[in-house]
Amino acid sequence: MLLQDARDFQILFLSLFLILGIGTRDWTLRPDLMLVVMATCLGTQWLAAYLSPILTQKLQNMLANQDAKQDNCQHETELAKSWAWHSLKSAGITALGLCLLLRCEHYTTMAIAGSLAILSKFVFKTGSKHFFNPANFGIIAALTLTPDAWVSPGQWGDDWWYALLFAGTGGTILKRVGRWDTTAAFLGSYAILEAIRNFWLGWTWDVFAHRLMSGSLLLFALFMLTDPRSIPNARTSRLIWAGCVAVLTFILRNQFFVPTALFWALFALSPLTVLLDFIWSSPRFSWSAADISAHPLTFPRSQPGSWESRPGGSASFRQTGRLKA
Amino acid sequence: MKQFRILKTLIVAFAAFLCFAPYAWGFCGFYVAKADTKLYNQASQVIIARDGSRTILTMANDYQGDVKDFALVVPVPVVLKQEQVRVGDPKIIERLDAFSAPRLVEYFDENPCDVARNYGPLFESAEAPAAGASRASRDDRSLGVTVEARFTVGEYDIVILSAKESDGLETWLQRNGYRIPQGASQLLRPYIRQNMKFFVAKVNLAEFEKAGYQFLRPLQMAYESPKFMLPIRLGMINATAAQDLIVYILSPKGQAEIANYRTVNVPSDAEIPLFVKNEFGNFYKAMFQNSYVREGQKVAFLEYAWDMASCDPCSADPLSPEELRKAGVFWLTPSSPSSVFITRLHVRYTRDKFPEDLMFQETSNQQFFQGRYVLRHPFTGNMQCEAGRQYKKALPQRFEEEAQTLAKLTGWKIQDIRKKMNVAQNEPAPFWRNIWP
Repeated sequence: MLLQDARDFQILFLSLFLILGIGTRDWTLRPDLMLVVMATCLGTQWLAAYLSPILTQKLQNMLANQDAKQDNCQHETELAKSWAWHSLKSAGITALGLCLLLRCEHYTTMAIAGSLAILSKFVFKTGSKHFFNPANFGIIAALTLTPDAWVSPGQWGDDWWYALLFAGTGGTILKRVGRWDTTAAFLGSYAILEAIRNFWLGWTWDVFAHRLMSGSLLLFALFMLTDPRSIPNARTSRLIWAGCVAVLTFILRNQFFVPTALFWALFALSPLTVLLDFIWSSPRFSWSAADISAHPLTFPRSQPGSWESRPGGSASFRQTGRLKA
Repeated sequence: MKQFRILKTLIVAFAAFLCFAPYAWGFCGFYVAKADTKLYNQASQVIIARDGSRTILTMANDYQGDVKDFALVVPVPVVLKQEQVRVGDPKIIERLDAFSAPRLVEYFDENPCDVARNYGPLFESAEAPAAGASRASRDDRSLGVTVEARFTVGEYDIVILSAKESDGLETWLQRNGYRIPQGASQLLRPYIRQNMKFFVAKVNLAEFEKAGYQFLRPLQMAYESPKFMLPIRLGMINATAAQDLIVYILSPKGQAEIANYRTVNVPSDAEIPLFVKNEFGNFYKAMFQNSYVREGQKVAFLEYAWDMASCDPCSADPLSPEELRKAGVFWLTPSSPSSVFITRLHVRYTRDKFPEDLMFQETSNQQFFQGRYVLRHPFTGNMQCEAGRQYKKALPQRFEEEAQTLAKLTGWKIQDIRKKMNVAQNEPAPFWRNIWP
């Protein structure tokens, strides 16, 4: 159902930003490159989702299907039909994210970014959960593996109406997926660090405001950092994790003068998700249980409120009150 | 089949473009006068040749006061030794400027009755002047100020200072005879705390007179630092109005852009009325100001991005390897001629819209861009054919479109533009032309 899934909103908003960006900011975006990344993401997703169970997870996949049948006989067929559609939606979101952020000269670079972004979901995972944000993985892959990729942190400027737009649309999605805490923890810790630095250096406060009003920072905090599919499950671990990303971003930006600090920090700390999920694992299980009983639509193994579908199989989930546990 | 042929091209003096306002000079630092001379910063040109973290920075200026009153303080990321500082050739900034300046291109329509048509520009150009210099201080006391190095390069006496406290630095500068602008101390602090050093230069009058220079030459410094930035905040202390900064970034990789502000392409490729040929400087000034206001006065403008081996159309010859070396390009070797990509950024900044220093990043963006404005001369000869009649019929609309474009770009009144255009190009054809061609 259109706009039932948080990912529909995600697609809608990212497309809106892309149109706005092309229309009002003169980005060096090329339609042909956008097509390439879209095609590679969708193609890779389709191929990998098709091959991955056959090649590596036949058994697991069968088990998952059995579970699904037992728990969810009523909706199973419908969901099974739509798995492809749902997983392609996630790939579409990844592609839109790459279109918005990554700039390059050649088709091959976009193809590498797109395919590695999607493949990262199938390769770097524990259980059924991948721990790299696919778009972020694609960006880092392109930056490190190709000579012609770059990211423009200044591309949105610091206009307040963009800040409002990002906050509004981001808030809509975060409310649905219940990950506002991550954004708040990230922006909060980052703002505190920048404020301390600003105070210590003796800059006027408009310097601080200018640094925080960056459209790229807000877009990152609201749309990339909060992918519920790849970030830690428990709220405590999410808060710790977002704080760590903020600290690392701050260090990379101010100590090492990396303009793209955000993406490197997220990339470097993504594997921490595995550890954090391991430490705070029991809450996750109890939430799932609550979800299942309350919402038969939710698959037993699906993560609550995710917009990156499960790579190996069907996934459809609606946002539920998982935070109550 | 091409539609037009260029008969000729233009050289439009672009000097006006750099003469935006009362001339005086300032750049990433501030000038400190030793006398009561009032100094204001208005426009500056900086060349940054950078590969990885290796940088050669050339600061040019048009300081117009008395040479003996001139002194300059610039925060630099590392302590510079004598061999890392050089006096540059002022010509090189003129050359870079001429090579990258926004350009006016002139086309002449072919006779629409001729079947074969040509198209293409001959040449065109633009240019702008620059001159350069800076200058300094001396002394050391125990104010938490350490004189890290002291040397003379060309006509400049240079001191590299590091400081612990901004008050100490301010006092040191005052005791050594520098008039520090009000509020400097507060602005020096962030740089001290970021562990930056201070490059203080003044003119060595004996050397200056001995060499017989007319003006101050640019200062060049070489250093290695991950900081790819220009400290504009200090330069705003003694500025009363918006300041213009033109940064030429030379990189082996591709375009550079500003990481903490938006970089916007200056409007380009517009067809504008012919009379602009005589006032291109005014046109560009008005257009730039208009774009600047439209973008909220808080973006940097890209005026040129090109591989330095070529240009199309060329406003000046590409720089020779020798000239590139003078501009600070250090990665060229005879055996491996790697590319040099130039990015010309024009930043007009004020204190309220640019609170933070400019941070740059190099990208591998190889897309070319130039500020280019097109004049199309209509064909005025004999046209004895249907195509000719059609052509004539279409002309008024074309002129009107050009007028609208110009009005939109510059904010000039459309009535004024139309009036000027009539004088320039719309002489009505005498009635007998209809029968006696």
